[in-house]
Amino acid sequence: MTRAERITIAILWLFAGLVFLLLYGPAVLVVVLSFFDIRRGAVVWNSFSFEHYAALAHNASILSALGNTLLVAGGSVSVAMVLALAIAYYMRTGQRRGRAYIEFVIFLPFVLPAIITGISLLITFRELGVERSLFTVAIGHIVIVISIIYRLVMVRLEALQTSQLEASADLGARGFTTFRLVVLPQLSSAMVTGALLALTISLDETLVTFFLAGGDPTLPLRLWAMMRVGFSPEINALVSIVLLITTIAASIGALLLRRSIPARKA
Amino acid sequence: MTPVSTIFEPAVPHAAAGRRRYDAAARWAARLFIYGIPTALILVPMIAFLISSFWRIDGATVDRSFTLENYRTFLSDATYWGIYLGTLRLAGVVALFGLVAGYIVAYLIWRLEGSFRYFMLLCSVIPLAMNYIVKIYAMRNILGFNGILNTMLVWAHILPAPSTLFVFNQTAVLITMTVIYLPFAILPIFLSLERIPASLVEASADLGGPPGYTFRHVVLPLSLPGSIVGGLFVMVLALGDFLTPQMVGGSQGFTFGRAIWSQFGMAFDWPFGAALAVMLLLAIIAILAVAGLLSRYGRLS
Repeated sequence: MTRAERITIAILWLFAGLVFLLLYGPAVLVVVLSFFDIRRGAVVWNSFSFEHYAALAHNASILSALGNTLLVAGGSVSVAMVLALAIAYYMRTGQRRGRAYIEFVIFLPFVLPAIITGISLLITFRELGVERSLFTVAIGHIVIVISIIYRLVMVRLEALQTSQLEASADLGARGFTTFRLVVLPQLSSAMVTGALLALTISLDETLVTFFLAGGDPTLPLRLWAMMRVGFSPEINALVSIVLLITTIAASIGALLLRRSIPARKA
Repeated sequence: MTPVSTIFEPAVPHAAAGRRRYDAAARWAARLFIYGIPTALILVPMIAFLISSFWRIDGATVDRSFTLENYRTFLSDATYWGIYLGTLRLAGVVALFGLVAGYIVAYLIWRLEGSFRYFMLLCSVIPLAMNYIVKIYAMRNILGFNGILNTMLVWAHILPAPSTLFVFNQTAVLITMTVIYLPFAILPIFLSLERIPASLVEASADLGGPPGYTFRHVVLPLSLPGSIVGGLFVMVLALGDFLTPQMVGGSQGFTFGRAIWSQFGMAFDWPFGAALAVMLLLAIIAILAVAGLLSRYGRLS
């Protein structure tokens, strides 16, 4: 490397450092502020404590929003898992004419902005006379996360040797037996990664949820409502906990994902 | 008509006729399930949304007869056109920032070796998992009148007093969207760099090309189409966002997403809101078409 290149790279790293500061700065700020009191818009720096975290435990509206979020995430991710698995396995076993059509449909909500998915479901539910509730929110989340699980499972299924399926069929195993004894054990890592990713997305999903939520808000909606009133250390504490959990979940997911990708050749 | 399948066919060829009828029924049930559920959950709502844009609100009820009035209202109203084009431009600038900043970060990570490389990649993706509302909230904390940015600028004597430059306007929306959507650009750009065969870069070096020359004539031309696709992806996300402009934009940061959203909230004119969303959809289809062409061109060259 010449000197000019070394300087160029150094300047680029400086810029990248600034970008990372921008990406992480907001989150770090919220965590720091969660330990202090805020009076008349100014931070009281000698008020370090965990009391805002303790106050959360008594905030009924936040706890119920948290419960709603977990219920929706758990339910929608489970259903999406079963659906994605069934569709991917069906498409993999045989020359399915409709594969292009199904993949087009499944990936629509992934490619189009959330506002369009939200409006579509909202209008359909109204035409069907379905009241907005946690159920409609869960349907929205299923629609959003199914493509991610499908993709991960499909990548794993495509890597599977067709001969394994044929051997199983030759030995007299019918569809479901082959699936349970031959395919499923090999899919576990893809499924865990998919479930973690889908959970992260569902816990965070706001733009579609906004259109579909009835009287029971999820945590992001509750946060949004609280922030419109103003800033409070309690929100910062809640947000810090959410950040901590999602960061851990994302890191585990990424590490699992790495294990399923072949290492880069040197 | 039966698709060729090694798995769903009965394993024993001389099974009883009743068994075969049962299998046929099971195959049809499976087909109905596999094709029916995604169609019902995703495609049918999309079609319902498109159809409802041709309805009209009549007092408090929806008139379900076909009309083009919503589109006529949009096309004849300069205010809506202004917001439409303004939002396209805003999303375009967000995408451009994402592309430039994302390319620099992705390129630097791509050059790294070993586990540090993976760690840095992870660091650039983790912000994706951070709560979206939280990020907007934190940005408001930073950009606000009494926010960190103003405090720092006053402290450094760059500004004489806190400025309203970064709060409740288009600039605030632009900055916040760039920060929120930047990680969405880094990953696709990194992947398009990763697709460049290492042998090409080595060949250029073997032939005496200095790193700067190799970058300009090998790496950049090969990775640019894929990178622009990443930028366009950010543009689509920015176009559809309605909560960021709502939270940091104030009255000056009105975007098309907010215009659509307000039809479903206060204005309660769902058919008109759907028609506006169709206009947004058209812009997005155009962007995706460009992305598709670019990625095909990238694969050919």
